[in-house]
Amino acid sequence: MGAFGLAAAWFGVVVFRTSSMVRSALALLFSMAAIGGMFLAMEAEFLGVLQLMMMATEMAIMAIFMVMYMMDPGGLSGMDMTHQKRASLAAGALGALGALAVAVLADWGPIEARVPAATAQVRELGIEIMERSMLIFETAGVTILTAMIAATAIAIQSRRR
Amino acid sequence: MATLTVALVVGAVLFGIGLYGALSQTNLVMIMMGVELMLGAAMVNLVAFWRFLHPEVYAGQMFVLIVMTVMALEMTVGFGIATGRFRAKGSVEMEEAQDLKG
Repeated sequence: MGAFGLAAAWFGVVVFRTSSMVRSALALLFSMAAIGGMFLAMEAEFLGVLQLMMMATEMAIMAIFMVMYMMDPGGLSGMDMTHQKRASLAAGALGALGALAVAVLADWGPIEARVPAATAQVRELGIEIMERSMLIFETAGVTILTAMIAATAIAIQSRRR
Repeated sequence: MATLTVALVVGAVLFGIGLYGALSQTNLVMIMMGVELMLGAAMVNLVAFWRFLHPEVYAGQMFVLIVMTVMALEMTVGFGIATGRFRAKGSVEMEEAQDLKG
């Protein structure tokens, strides 16, 4: 799990260090894939596979949009696309340090050594979705539909003008 | 205890990197990448809490599914705005988006 974590953090740094947008999108894809690897290492098989499948598609779409909308997608002209660097660095470091302090100093209680088998997990998650969390799950579905309509409406607005 | 701490430390580092990216980048798509990293960090923490503290409670996994939905929604609406902005102004640079104020 530590190796996947290191890979996720390293590729996360590469996302904002490379000037090529395609490399940036690929780095984010690898970072998200490493997070999926962490899920698998933590024995959350369903979520791990879902993360890998979803992020592969999502980042492929993101790479297309980046090439479409960026002024310099290849990063050949060496444009600086950052602002307020010091303040951002300070905010990022402060956020990370705060979370690290909580992670290390808090008393998390006893650690569970075993988890249910993958098939039992999927079954229990299905029951959770269809019983206790059904309203939340349905709300997520309706929200996705609303976001799709809203995004389409925003994107075609200028054509109507 | 060590494995939970490793996962939480990775989550904290990813959150810091994402926050830096979301605040420092001038391009809308890059800002969205920063937000994605922060949501990824939240998911790592949620899975770690489920795995190491309460593996019998599946609300933790459910919460991860909701965060994944939020990631997809963020991309959908973000790219919708990017498309609208690109059509109107020919750029998705947020430094040039002062006209969105008020």
